[in-house]
Amino acid sequence: MSDSATKPGAPKIDVVVIGVSHRTAPVALREKLTVVPDQLDATLKELKTLPGVREVALLSTCNRIEIYAVASDADATLRAIGADLSRRASMLEAEIEPHIYTRVERDAVKHLFRVASSLDSLVVGEPQILGQVKETKELAERAGVFGNILAQCFERAFRVAKRVRNDTEIARNPVSVSSIAVEYARNVFADFRGRRVLVVGAGKMSDLAARALRAHGAVLTVTNRTRARADELAARVGGDVHAWEDLAGALAKADVVIASTGAQRPVLTRELLARVQKVRRGRLLCLIDIAVPRDVEPEAADLEGVYVANIDDLQQVAADGQKNRAAEATAGEAIIEEEIGRFLQDWGGRQLGPTVTAMRTHVLGVVHGEADKLLASLGHLAEKDRAAITAAFDAAGKKVLHQPQLALKRDPGEAVSLVAAVQKLFGLQTAEAPPESDAAPPAAGEGATPRRPGDPS
Amino acid sequence: MSTLTVLELGAYALASVLYLGFLLGLRARAGRLALAAAVVLHVIDVGERCVHGVNPISSTPEALSFIGFLVATGYVLASLRYKLDSAGAFAAPAALVLLVLARLGPAEEATPAMSPLGQTHILLATIGVAIFFIAAVLAVLYLFEDRQLRRKDFAKMKGRATPLDTLDRLAAGCVSIGFPIFTVAIVTGAMWIARLGVLHGMRALRPEYLLAFVTWVAFGVLIVARVGGGWRGRRAAWLTLGGFGGTVLVLLVYFLRHAA
Repeated sequence: MSDSATKPGAPKIDVVVIGVSHRTAPVALREKLTVVPDQLDATLKELKTLPGVREVALLSTCNRIEIYAVASDADATLRAIGADLSRRASMLEAEIEPHIYTRVERDAVKHLFRVASSLDSLVVGEPQILGQVKETKELAERAGVFGNILAQCFERAFRVAKRVRNDTEIARNPVSVSSIAVEYARNVFADFRGRRVLVVGAGKMSDLAARALRAHGAVLTVTNRTRARADELAARVGGDVHAWEDLAGALAKADVVIASTGAQRPVLTRELLARVQKVRRGRLLCLIDIAVPRDVEPEAADLEGVYVANIDDLQQVAADGQKNRAAEATAGEAIIEEEIGRFLQDWGGRQLGPTVTAMRTHVLGVVHGEADKLLASLGHLAEKDRAAITAAFDAAGKKVLHQPQLALKRDPGEAVSLVAAVQKLFGLQTAEAPPESDAAPPAAGEGATPRRPGDPS
Repeated sequence: MSTLTVLELGAYALASVLYLGFLLGLRARAGRLALAAAVVLHVIDVGERCVHGVNPISSTPEALSFIGFLVATGYVLASLRYKLDSAGAFAAPAALVLLVLARLGPAEEATPAMSPLGQTHILLATIGVAIFFIAAVLAVLYLFEDRQLRRKDFAKMKGRATPLDTLDRLAAGCVSIGFPIFTVAIVTGAMWIARLGVLHGMRALRPEYLLAFVTWVAFGVLIVARVGGGWRGRRAAWLTLGGFGGTVLVLLVYFLRHAA
């Protein structure tokens, strides 16, 4: 399942990642794994109970579901999480396995850096993903399943993402999914003046797409299961509200529908749409489904006069539209490569102190132990002689330690490989390094906002 | 073949190539200009023939040329108002084919002096066919784009597509304008035949009469289905093509009979 990703000499970091993304799985599979916001906490706690999982975080966006974990036995843990994923998707492991990717150690951290920097996004440079990674950290902290090692990786990932955004042109004029949605609807309707746009579900993305259509003269109507959020969105984008209970009535009047609910099952079923099309007397209907799991039943796409675009369709267009970003992406990758090296060096550096201490304790422990054994058998010696022998043993131990300690402290770059060497040579286990920056978990309910499945990454 | 005809055919051919190129990424401007030039040459051509006493409905080739002219002109006028560039890839070749059939097909003696009733029938039938022709072009484009959109190929459409709603509405408009014209043509045709029968003892019911009637029924059903049954989109497009197919068959029968 995994190859050792640790370069010879580099300090080992016990991080693994396993997941599916737009690169490996179509929306039809991703939607089975998507974790709805109110399930996130429980899911995280369940994941933490899996064998070997010491720390865990779950990134669930409409484009990817990834589990980051700290585990000493990478293979066993990845197998356990993989089995858990297939159980959640109600699929056989053999079915889901081709869509799953795993990374361990250095590669796992690098993957996190790339994801946070939007280099792994379908629409490279899109800005939402960083916020989603931040929420991932906050949610794991609140669930009490986060820890020092992941905290360091995530904190560094945020910094790297910022650097990639600032140092490259990657985030300039990103092709937005909402503008592609408008373009898609243009294949059905010549203009949107006076056209009725129905927004089903009050997600962030529907907000953007609705605004874009309104700018072209469309009349907006919002419907949402929770009335208050419909009112809120309607006030924000300038539209009226239609009762959720009369979804069919709202659809009958609409020309374009933007769907982004957080529902687990399709809200706009084939049966409902077929019924609505009768009432509409066959008028063309354009459905833009930006939700994961999808809101429009796939079977509805072949209805007469009904045109459906889902998130993958739209993003594919967006991605095609920015092929010229390859150069920027390459610059971003170079930054990632540099940063991962630096991160592991720092990681090793932070392990230096504990390693030196462990080495001292180990060597001096052996030396003092042997001295004590010797002195026990030489009971006739005077106190002065005993002190001299103890001092000689102690000095010998310290002299042995002197050169290795100097070497470790002299050059932090070299120290990274030396730390690993020393750990290996002396069979040392160091305590976990302290976090890189203040990663104190925030009080529950503070900071993070619940992620919406409609937000793309 | 006159220089004018050669220029005319050349302009239509160029417009066809340029509009097809538009679908593949060329700019639409060149195609528009070429087609406009073709239409202007065609006006001059038709006018010149009229001056020489050859009116557009005096024979089948003249009628074909006239239909081509009406299709091209109708398209050019409609494209001033609507975003129809992708339809040009169908309209321009259609006009070209009609003109080729008219000019390069077997020549035909002009029908000797016809009664006003006969002239009215042929004129209206020609205009009706031209309008149905445009409806059929729009229907073909509708089916083409519908397929692209359903196959998620819309990235390739790159904003070049004529919006489906526009195509559907324009085709419906063509059919509802063409239908009354075609109805009057059928009625005047029936009266004309009846009168010829009385005058010359021609009573044989030819197959094209039946075919013309079936075509008329097909378009009638389409209008009723649209208004009453909410038939839109693909089904309406297929029915339009069916009706137009009937029209083409009627024309073909005429054409072959006269050529024989």
